[in-house]
Amino acid sequence: MSANELPFQDKLGFCNVLISALGGDGANMAAKLLFKVGCDQLGFDGGYDAKYGSEKKGTPTDVSVRFCKPGTPIRQVGPTATPHILAVFHADMMGPLELNRGLQPGATCIVNSSQSPEWVHTTLRMHSGRVICVDASRIAAEIGSRLNMPMLALLAHELGFDALIKEYVAKQWPRVAKQNIVAFEKALHSGQSSRFEPGLFPLAEEGISRGRIGWKNMLNGGTVDALTHNTGGRDNRLAGRGKIPEFHPESCTSCGICLTVCSDPGGLRWQGGKMAGIDEAFCKGCMRCVEVCPENKKGKALTFTDAGLGD
Amino acid sequence: MSQIARPPNRIALSHAIQVPWLGNGNEAVAKAIIDIGYDAEGYYPITPSSDVGEVVSKAVADGETDLAFIIGTSELAALSICAGVAVAGGRAVDVTSANGLMLKAEQMPAIAGLGLPMVLNLSTRDVSAPLNIKNGHSDLYAALGWGWIILLAPTVQAAYDMNIIAIKVSEAVNLPAIVAYDGFYTSHANRRIQVFRDQNDVRTFVGPPPFRKTLEAESGRFNLLDVNHPRTFGPYMNDDLINCKVQMDLKFEQAKELLPRIFKEFALLSGRHYDFVHQYGDRDAERCLVVLNTAGEAAKDAVDELKEKGESVNLVVPIVLRPWPEDEIVAAIGGAKRIVVAERASQYGASNYLANEIGAALQRRGNDARIIQRTYGVGGLNFTGKDALAMYDLAARWPKLEDKDEARTKWYYGAWAGDENYHPLPTLKPLTAAECSCNAGKDGKVNLRDLSSMPTRFDKHTACPGCGIFTTLNLFLRGIDGHVVFLFNTGCGMVVTTGYPLTSFKVPYFHNLFHNGSSTATGVVEMIKRYKARGEIPEDITAIVVTGDGGDDIGMDQVIGAALRNDPFILLEYDNKGYMNTGSQLCYTGFKGQRNSNAHLGAAQKGKLTHHKDIIEILRGTFAPYLATAAELHAVDMIRKARKAQATVRAGGFAFVKALSVCPLNWGMDEHVGPSAVEAMVNACMHPLVEIEHGITRVTIDPEKSGKKVPVSDAFRKMGGAYRHLLTPDYAPLLQEVQDEVDRRWMRLKAMSENALL
Repeated sequence: MSANELPFQDKLGFCNVLISALGGDGANMAAKLLFKVGCDQLGFDGGYDAKYGSEKKGTPTDVSVRFCKPGTPIRQVGPTATPHILAVFHADMMGPLELNRGLQPGATCIVNSSQSPEWVHTTLRMHSGRVICVDASRIAAEIGSRLNMPMLALLAHELGFDALIKEYVAKQWPRVAKQNIVAFEKALHSGQSSRFEPGLFPLAEEGISRGRIGWKNMLNGGTVDALTHNTGGRDNRLAGRGKIPEFHPESCTSCGICLTVCSDPGGLRWQGGKMAGIDEAFCKGCMRCVEVCPENKKGKALTFTDAGLGD
Repeated sequence: MSQIARPPNRIALSHAIQVPWLGNGNEAVAKAIIDIGYDAEGYYPITPSSDVGEVVSKAVADGETDLAFIIGTSELAALSICAGVAVAGGRAVDVTSANGLMLKAEQMPAIAGLGLPMVLNLSTRDVSAPLNIKNGHSDLYAALGWGWIILLAPTVQAAYDMNIIAIKVSEAVNLPAIVAYDGFYTSHANRRIQVFRDQNDVRTFVGPPPFRKTLEAESGRFNLLDVNHPRTFGPYMNDDLINCKVQMDLKFEQAKELLPRIFKEFALLSGRHYDFVHQYGDRDAERCLVVLNTAGEAAKDAVDELKEKGESVNLVVPIVLRPWPEDEIVAAIGGAKRIVVAERASQYGASNYLANEIGAALQRRGNDARIIQRTYGVGGLNFTGKDALAMYDLAARWPKLEDKDEARTKWYYGAWAGDENYHPLPTLKPLTAAECSCNAGKDGKVNLRDLSSMPTRFDKHTACPGCGIFTTLNLFLRGIDGHVVFLFNTGCGMVVTTGYPLTSFKVPYFHNLFHNGSSTATGVVEMIKRYKARGEIPEDITAIVVTGDGGDDIGMDQVIGAALRNDPFILLEYDNKGYMNTGSQLCYTGFKGQRNSNAHLGAAQKGKLTHHKDIIEILRGTFAPYLATAAELHAVDMIRKARKAQATVRAGGFAFVKALSVCPLNWGMDEHVGPSAVEAMVNACMHPLVEIEHGITRVTIDPEKSGKKVPVSDAFRKMGGAYRHLLTPDYAPLLQEVQDEVDRRWMRLKAMSENALL
């Protein structure tokens, strides 16, 4: 098959796609599929690289796919720092992770959000280009598919091979083909798109973020002072995705069983020997406590939230 | 077993048929291993090379290769397995990274010294503390003097190709060979490459398996198993040893002579040309950059960019490090006057590795070119074309540099000084012994509500939701009074709590790699004892080692040592039935038949091959004062055991507690199901709750007595996707086997529980 045209091309001949997601979102799977179909079916060449590490489920991850025409030397490694197409699985990560860094002028940003493209443009501090908003979380939840399907649909569409990807998705996971295809198509038809001209925000240079501790002030051997550098102030809401159990104090006998199964029990607020609720900055919404919370006449003190049920 | 003559010295097949193939560097190495057709792969998981074995083991399970995939207790064990295969005439291959190579260190010079050919793939990674799993070449440089041929593979394609070249040269000269490719940047980079369509083309190129006569006409390789001609391998040697060293150096001379021919043969076969050194750009240029592997590839874009601007620069990428191709390197450097030798490592307190060797080579030829040394790209910092431009810019400005650090001959590229005015205020008050004393005087009585007043010793980790590790640890700690010092073995437990610059621990904590926790604790408790004797520590401190079940595979010897010395600390093992931090490889604790990323289900294999390890029974022989098992949901039982463990330690003895810990991610279960799964496993007697005090066994929770005993299938049903296949008809005999083994062990425990003499 002869090579199709790519929507973008840098001076080295690459169209760079960056996906920002959380571990467990299926971003790697989506990127791998794009890469495979692009190379096997459309005759492109390129690379699929990820920022691997010890990232656990719920921690941020970058995945990138670069496409070029065959014969282009492929020399750079690691995720692209200069994306033409950016896919954001969680809109609340745009700011903290400074996803505008290295974003090319005229880029396309596909963002999982129920907000408007204007909101994304401002929140991302994007120089110029097109924003496509899609409520991928809702589509996935309603249809019983995964978040990566609607996102993959729009990514593939931007690259011009959504039809092939759709075929592949159906073949790859026959058991859930129906849901996936519905989610895929729904995403293609429900994206809101706007174009933004340069002017409001400057181009943000690619770069690595450097902490305030360097070789001049790092403690001997990289030691961490627990009194000044502890995770107490960390906000786990990103990992929890707002999915925490509901607490019903009237049903609670403070039996303490929840305390014995919680994996980050500072998040269970106990005061004077009594259970007083859940700290949402701690809780990652695993719902273990819901599983063990005993049912009494007044029901369970801890229950799934609506958002928690979908999983 | 007679020696097979080496086939006549002919040129290999030309232009074997190749096909495009998509995959990452690790998968390409696995493909090469399968294509070459080894007898065995010795295996132990380590990031970022683990998935080579995962792919190979999948092919084994699917019956696509007859390679023996043997999982060792450690990296040293894996390589020793390879040594055994090789001395018995087999072809062996191993794969490792960083600390894995460090642990193999004892075997490395031995294998080279004994002249055992084999291939070790090194997916490079920095060797460091604080621990880092990303790229660096300090592992590679450590191997420079170990007597192994060292070939580098800058791309995914080269990782495949170099494996085929490596085994050929290795067997030809009876030296082991390393193939080094960049961890993550190559190991996890997916590319389209060319592979041979027919394995036979690869096998013909490599040649028939040993034993054939090698280039060493008089002292070729022999087979340990030749009973008709017995030989002693690895004798004790005194003064003669120096002759061994001469022999090794001569072998490297042979390898140096032979490699061009093998490269040429490979080029004929594949169309891909390799050489000792890869030179790119202008050989007559004033400025030259020397870098290894992926950085060399990235730098080519910089060379092209400069060329377009009319600037002429040179790039030299060594491909063979041992034998050191001195003439070829000097020739490739050509007329350069300012050479930046950039390395993914540093030789602290001295000039860097390659810089020294290149400097010496140039000096020997009266070349006075200036060498500028830079350490770059360690621990996750990438090296791109932009960075290469910065290197050429440095060479252009040299030696007139204003910044005094930049003006140093040897310096770091990409390091930062930090903000010296950064003095954050404390956000945590240290825990006092008094506020952490909820258990004192409550020997048998446990009230969970009261225990809510125990402060948490850690907060806000980044473990996956539903992780069992911190449930277990938190619950156990509610039974531990006073000051605590933690010693963690490497594993998820340490990774998710101590990501620099923050720590989740509110109490003192030390991580000393994967398997050393128990010995390290011995040192720490010795110091506690000494400070106490001198009256310098007024309050008691309880040392707790926290390890995964993997840490008690690789560190079993050190655990046994601590138990035998009866050192006063608690060792808490969280057992999640696998090496979960590296990607769910099997641990000996796993159940027979369970699926792991290196124990697959296929036509030729049904998951894990052996029954679960019983560490309590292993430790029983140490007659340590307190051994116990625990599980969440049996909170009262666990708190009592924690108190007993602390009492044991306070009385001067060693206490070991193993707690069951679910891994929702790798078991494939919903996050909230953990507690029910643990309950089912306890009720199925798959994790019997017992304690052994001075050799006297007591079952503390008896599901049989309480009428709760369930078949193992009930537990497997709850445990998730890694176990669910055991419930299908195909696996019925295997399921029964697990049931029988679990029942047998349970009945033994019951018998011991009922009889103090057992």
